[in-house]
Amino acid sequence: MYILWAMLIFLIPYLVLIVRGPTVWDRILGMSLVSTKIIIIVIIFSSLNHLDYLTDFAIIYVLLGFIVTFFITTFLVTRKKREK
Amino acid sequence: MEILGNIIIILGIIFMLFGVIGIFRYQNFFVRILIASKIDTVGALTVVIGLAVKHGFSFFSLRVVLLLVLMFIINPMVTHIIARSAYESGQNIDGSVDDIEEGNE
Repeated sequence: MYILWAMLIFLIPYLVLIVRGPTVWDRILGMSLVSTKIIIIVIIFSSLNHLDYLTDFAIIYVLLGFIVTFFITTFLVTRKKREK
Repeated sequence: MEILGNIIIILGIIFMLFGVIGIFRYQNFFVRILIASKIDTVGALTVVIGLAVKHGFSFFSLRVVLLLVLMFIINPMVTHIIARSAYESGQNIDGSVDDIEEGNE
Protein backbone atom coordinates (compact mmCIF):
# COMPACT_ATOMS: atom_id res chain seq x y z
CA MET A 1 0.00 0.00 0.00
CA TYR A 2 2.87 2.30 0.83
CA ILE A 3 4.10 1.93 -2.76
CA LEU A 4 1.00 3.74 -4.02
CA TRP A 5 1.62 6.65 -1.69
CA ALA A 6 5.28 6.75 -2.69
CA MET A 7 4.24 6.94 -6.34
CA LEU A 8 1.76 9.74 -5.67
CA ILE A 9 4.36 11.71 -3.76
CA PHE A 10 6.75 11.28 -6.71
CA LEU A 11 4.06 12.69 -9.01
CA ILE A 12 4.10 16.14 -7.40
CA PRO A 13 7.60 17.25 -8.57
CA TYR A 14 6.69 16.47 -12.15
CA LEU A 15 3.53 18.59 -11.84
CA VAL A 16 5.65 21.40 -10.43
CA LEU A 17 7.96 20.97 -13.40
CA ILE A 18 4.98 21.30 -15.77
CA VAL A 19 3.82 24.51 -14.09
CA ARG A 20 7.24 26.08 -13.58
CA GLY A 21 9.08 24.79 -16.64
CA PRO A 22 10.66 27.75 -18.48
CA THR A 23 10.22 26.38 -21.99
CA VAL A 24 7.30 24.68 -23.70
CA TRP A 25 9.38 21.55 -24.08
CA ASP A 26 9.83 21.19 -20.32
CA ARG A 27 6.09 21.05 -20.05
CA ILE A 28 5.79 18.38 -22.70
CA LEU A 29 8.54 16.40 -21.03
CA GLY A 30 6.74 16.71 -17.71
CA MET A 31 3.51 15.56 -19.31
CA SER A 32 5.11 12.43 -20.75
CA LEU A 33 6.79 11.65 -17.43
CA VAL A 34 3.51 12.12 -15.56
CA SER A 35 1.80 9.70 -17.94
CA THR A 36 4.57 7.12 -17.33
CA LYS A 37 4.06 7.59 -13.61
CA ILE A 38 0.33 7.10 -13.93
CA ILE A 39 0.95 3.83 -15.75
CA ILE A 40 3.04 2.61 -12.84
CA ILE A 41 0.35 3.63 -10.37
CA VAL A 42 -2.29 1.75 -12.38
CA ILE A 43 -0.13 -1.36 -12.58
CA ILE A 44 0.63 -1.40 -8.86
CA PHE A 45 -3.01 -0.77 -8.06
CA SER A 46 -4.09 -3.65 -10.26
CA SER A 47 -1.52 -5.96 -8.69
CA LEU A 48 -2.45 -5.03 -5.11
CA ASN A 49 -6.20 -5.50 -5.61
CA HIS A 50 -5.82 -8.49 -7.94
CA LEU A 51 -7.73 -6.77 -10.73
CA ASP A 52 -6.12 -8.31 -13.79
CA TYR A 53 -7.95 -6.32 -16.46
CA LEU A 54 -6.39 -2.98 -15.43
CA THR A 55 -3.06 -3.96 -16.96
CA ASP A 56 -4.69 -3.87 -20.42
CA PHE A 57 -5.63 -0.28 -19.75
CA ALA A 58 -2.03 0.49 -18.80
CA ILE A 59 -0.72 -1.03 -22.02
CA ILE A 60 -3.10 1.09 -24.08
CA TYR A 61 -2.18 4.13 -22.05
CA VAL A 62 1.52 3.68 -22.91
CA LEU A 63 0.66 3.81 -26.62
CA LEU A 64 -1.71 6.71 -26.08
CA GLY A 65 0.97 8.74 -24.29
CA PHE A 66 3.32 8.17 -27.16
CA ILE A 67 0.78 9.25 -29.77
CA VAL A 68 -0.24 12.36 -27.82
CA THR A 69 3.35 13.49 -27.38
CA PHE A 70 4.10 12.84 -31.02
CA PHE A 71 1.30 15.02 -32.34
CA ILE A 72 1.86 17.82 -29.85
CA THR A 73 5.51 18.09 -30.79
CA THR A 74 4.73 17.89 -34.50
CA PHE A 75 2.19 20.67 -34.09
CA LEU A 76 4.63 22.87 -32.18
CA VAL A 77 7.42 22.41 -34.70
CA THR A 78 5.23 23.12 -37.74
CA ARG A 79 3.60 26.08 -35.99
CA LYS A 80 7.03 27.72 -35.53
CA LYS A 81 7.89 27.10 -39.19
CA ARG A 82 4.56 28.54 -40.31
CA GLU A 83 5.21 31.76 -38.32
CA LYS A 84 8.35 32.56 -40.32
CA MET B 1 9.65 -15.02 -4.70
CA GLU B 2 7.40 -12.50 -2.98
CA ILE B 3 10.22 -10.87 -1.02
CA LEU B 4 12.47 -10.75 -4.08
CA GLY B 5 9.75 -8.89 -5.98
CA ASN B 6 9.35 -6.41 -3.17
CA ILE B 7 13.08 -5.73 -3.06
CA ILE B 8 13.17 -5.05 -6.79
CA ILE B 9 10.19 -2.70 -6.49
CA ILE B 10 11.92 -0.74 -3.74
CA LEU B 11 15.01 -0.55 -5.95
CA GLY B 12 12.83 0.91 -8.71
CA ILE B 13 11.45 3.50 -6.33
CA ILE B 14 14.98 4.55 -5.42
CA PHE B 15 15.78 4.99 -9.12
CA MET B 16 12.70 7.17 -9.49
CA LEU B 17 13.90 9.26 -6.55
CA PHE B 18 17.12 9.95 -8.44
CA GLY B 19 15.04 10.89 -11.49
CA VAL B 20 13.07 13.42 -9.49
CA ILE B 21 16.25 14.89 -7.99
CA GLY B 22 17.82 14.99 -11.45
CA ILE B 23 14.97 17.13 -12.75
CA PHE B 24 15.50 19.97 -10.31
CA ARG B 25 19.25 19.76 -10.24
CA TYR B 26 19.86 20.89 -13.81
CA GLN B 27 18.33 24.00 -15.33
CA ASN B 28 19.37 23.37 -18.93
CA PHE B 29 16.53 21.69 -20.80
CA PHE B 30 18.52 19.09 -22.73
CA VAL B 31 20.49 17.88 -19.72
CA ARG B 32 17.29 17.68 -17.76
CA ILE B 33 15.47 15.70 -20.41
CA LEU B 34 18.36 13.27 -20.69
CA ILE B 35 18.48 12.53 -16.99
CA ALA B 36 14.82 12.64 -16.11
CA SER B 37 13.63 10.40 -18.92
CA LYS B 38 16.42 7.85 -18.73
CA ILE B 39 16.35 7.33 -14.98
CA ASP B 40 12.59 7.51 -14.79
CA THR B 41 12.24 4.87 -17.49
CA VAL B 42 14.72 2.62 -15.74
CA GLY B 43 12.93 3.12 -12.44
CA ALA B 44 9.57 2.37 -13.98
CA LEU B 45 10.91 -0.75 -15.68
CA THR B 46 12.50 -1.98 -12.46
CA VAL B 47 9.20 -1.60 -10.64
CA VAL B 48 7.42 -3.48 -13.44
CA ILE B 49 10.03 -6.26 -13.35
CA GLY B 50 9.60 -6.47 -9.60
CA LEU B 51 5.86 -6.85 -10.02
CA ALA B 52 6.31 -9.56 -12.63
CA VAL B 53 8.69 -11.45 -10.33
CA LYS B 54 6.32 -10.97 -7.42
CA HIS B 55 3.49 -12.70 -9.24
CA GLY B 56 5.55 -15.59 -10.54
CA PHE B 57 4.17 -17.48 -13.54
CA SER B 58 0.62 -16.28 -14.06
CA PHE B 59 -1.44 -14.48 -16.65
CA PHE B 60 -0.94 -11.24 -14.75
CA SER B 61 2.84 -11.35 -15.05
CA LEU B 62 2.48 -12.25 -18.74
CA ARG B 63 0.62 -8.99 -19.32
CA VAL B 64 3.10 -7.11 -17.19
CA VAL B 65 5.98 -8.49 -19.29
CA LEU B 66 4.15 -7.37 -22.42
CA LEU B 67 3.84 -3.91 -20.94
CA LEU B 68 7.51 -4.07 -20.00
CA VAL B 69 8.54 -4.74 -23.60
CA LEU B 70 6.27 -1.96 -24.85
CA MET B 71 7.57 0.59 -22.37
CA PHE B 72 11.12 -0.45 -23.18
CA ILE B 73 10.50 0.48 -26.81
CA ILE B 74 8.23 3.47 -26.45
CA ASN B 75 9.76 5.54 -23.68
CA PRO B 76 13.08 6.23 -25.40
CA MET B 77 11.14 6.98 -28.57
CA VAL B 78 9.06 9.60 -26.80
CA THR B 79 12.14 11.23 -25.34
CA HIS B 80 13.82 11.25 -28.71
CA ILE B 81 10.82 12.91 -30.34
CA ILE B 82 10.69 15.63 -27.71
CA ALA B 83 14.40 16.36 -27.88
CA ARG B 84 14.52 16.36 -31.68
CA SER B 85 11.53 18.63 -32.09
CA ALA B 86 12.83 20.94 -29.35
CA TYR B 87 16.13 21.28 -31.19
CA GLU B 88 14.40 21.71 -34.54
CA SER B 89 12.26 24.56 -33.27
CA GLY B 90 15.26 26.64 -32.25
CA GLN B 91 15.95 25.58 -28.69
CA ASN B 92 19.75 25.53 -28.64
CA ILE B 93 21.84 23.13 -26.61
CA ASP B 94 23.15 25.86 -24.30
CA GLY B 95 19.60 26.91 -23.45
CA SER B 96 19.42 30.04 -25.58
CA VAL B 97 16.47 30.19 -27.97
CA ASP B 98 17.05 31.69 -31.40
CA ASP B 99 13.71 32.52 -32.98
CA ILE B 100 14.90 33.07 -36.51
CA GLU B 101 15.70 29.55 -37.67
CA GLU B 102 16.93 29.35 -41.25
CA GLY B 103 17.56 26.15 -43.12
CA ASN B 104 17.52 23.79 -40.21
CA GLU B 105 15.49 21.24 -42.19
